[in-house]
Amino acid sequence: MEKALRQKARELLESGSVRLVIGYEQGSVPFKCTPLFAETPEEAERLIWNPTCVNNLAVYLPQVISQGKVAIVVKPCDVKSVVELIKEHKVNREDVVTIVVPCPGVLNLDGLNGLDLRDVKSVQWGGEGIIVECSSGAVELARERSFLSKCLSCTIGKAPLADIEIGESPIRNPLTDKHTCVAEYEKLSPAERRMFWARQFAKCVRCYACRQACPGCYCNECFVDKKGQMWLLRATDPASNWFFHTSRMMHIAGRCVGCGECERACPMGIPLTLLGTKLDKEVEEMFGGRAGESPDAPPILGCFEPTDPDPCPE
Amino acid sequence: MEPKVIAKTDITQWLKSLADRFEIIAPVREDGVTLFRHVEDFADIDLATTPATGTLREHFTPKTETLLEYEFSDSGAEVRSVDPGAKEMLIFGARACDAAALRYVDAVYSMVEPRDEPYFIRRENTAIVGVFCNEPAWSCFCTEVGDFLSSPIEMDLYLTDIGDKFFTEVFTVKGEELVSHPQFQQATEEDGQAADTVRQKALSRLPSHVDHASACLSYDWEHPLWKKLAQKCLGCGVCAFSCPTCHCFDIQECPKVLRGSRYRCWDTCQFEQFTLMGAGHNPRSSKKERTRQRVFHKFKYSMERYNMLGCVGCGRCVALCPVNMDIRQVIRELESKKG
Repeated sequence: MEKALRQKARELLESGSVRLVIGYEQGSVPFKCTPLFAETPEEAERLIWNPTCVNNLAVYLPQVISQGKVAIVVKPCDVKSVVELIKEHKVNREDVVTIVVPCPGVLNLDGLNGLDLRDVKSVQWGGEGIIVECSSGAVELARERSFLSKCLSCTIGKAPLADIEIGESPIRNPLTDKHTCVAEYEKLSPAERRMFWARQFAKCVRCYACRQACPGCYCNECFVDKKGQMWLLRATDPASNWFFHTSRMMHIAGRCVGCGECERACPMGIPLTLLGTKLDKEVEEMFGGRAGESPDAPPILGCFEPTDPDPCPE
Repeated sequence: MEPKVIAKTDITQWLKSLADRFEIIAPVREDGVTLFRHVEDFADIDLATTPATGTLREHFTPKTETLLEYEFSDSGAEVRSVDPGAKEMLIFGARACDAAALRYVDAVYSMVEPRDEPYFIRRENTAIVGVFCNEPAWSCFCTEVGDFLSSPIEMDLYLTDIGDKFFTEVFTVKGEELVSHPQFQQATEEDGQAADTVRQKALSRLPSHVDHASACLSYDWEHPLWKKLAQKCLGCGVCAFSCPTCHCFDIQECPKVLRGSRYRCWDTCQFEQFTLMGAGHNPRSSKKERTRQRVFHKFKYSMERYNMLGCVGCGRCVALCPVNMDIRQVIRELESKKG
């Protein structure tokens, strides 16, 4: 699989049809990957594809696309971000080549808890989930334990916008529903929800990792950083933290593809995908669409129909 | 003072007896992260996570701290300073890296007069009970940048888990007061040997010392690595806000109509606005300059200014960076290609 991926990337760079291939390479440890920006065929030889390739690389597209055509290695779910970027005119369709890799699901690092991580040699797909090769022998981890929760509910078939497909996409066999986590949350009363988020947002250090890791957060100047207009304090007081997170989420409502990069990047363990999934569910119920699914559909919240629901109380 | 021992089952009782005098701060696990928190129920303390996800920074320089308040009235303007509070804190479960970082921050905040009073008031009112790292994390590399894991600094007590009890070393007068408690007994020779065994085992799992200190001073300003790092860096503040030696802050106003306050909050050189000047010029306008700044500040400028590395090898940035920017790898690469 990696061989085919490297071969394709090499061809694209050698022929000059792209100037850059964004993909994954081996990280500093066997259980982490790191983004690779390959500009030469030789650099493309470092591309990898294994369960550690968790990042949604679409986050880099807006900043590199202006300098010429780019190929990007994407999981079928990451393609949704590319779709959104094209729909929102941040990226021209003809400037990007998507290389879609077949994805059985990617690694949830917490799944390795209990293993001696210094002893890990490699992380590969195998058995029912992931096989971790340690110097003391191989450990097989079931999907439930080793995959990210978004992978456990994944139903993606053929990815839209696939310019190059490596291998064949595995048949999906979801273990949970995408909105399962929301069901529990919705049992809470408004007061309980407020308490829940107050506790979560109190941890926020405002490092903006959620925003920086989000492929949908591409504004040249975020409302948080506006100079002269103080929309909110830089202070981490409850009101400002609350305002930051809820406003960011409202800005990506109908555009959030649920990649979960915000939550993965958060150093404080704030369950941001719960907010995103809840919004996704509401948008779907009200406007009947999901972000990133069709490159031809208009942006969900970017158009108005007289028949749109208006559930606000009188 | 001769080393002591305390049974693990007695720790709760001991901390309880100290809770009248001190606000007890210890690592607590919550929603998958371990943060130093004010603890009331000592059963919540998490000593299994090495090191804690969060640092001690919040307790010495809060994320947001009001410095002064002002109010306008018919008779003029009144400015009030805000008392930083003089409560006594006891930090239980700090790691050797957490404590060593304080020596660095002390140097920064006392470099020029007047020293940073709110910081030093808290610092001087704090007792630190360190705990040895029996199980260093995969990302730990303190032994690469110093020997404070074996010879701790800035601690009053140093506890080593030797099974059903903690071997306790006492370094200060404050530490002597803390162990003058019936729960502590004189350590035997066997206890000392057990502690040595535990330490040797942990040390054998960590990298050996590297002389980063002298190596870094000649680093290349236009090294091709800076561009490579800038490409993948997301420009967030995870590395800085999870770093025990990062100390930069921004001063901001919170204006209301006729009153307001001035506060400081954490800031980082990784943010574009950090060096943005009033007239619009930004000397570190791209991520290339900003990632370089972070590495140079830790490994070059800190040596020049304080004769100390600005990195204690806690590995938090290594573990938490969303794009696996690993400072150990960065330093290795710079050193391998230098002059």
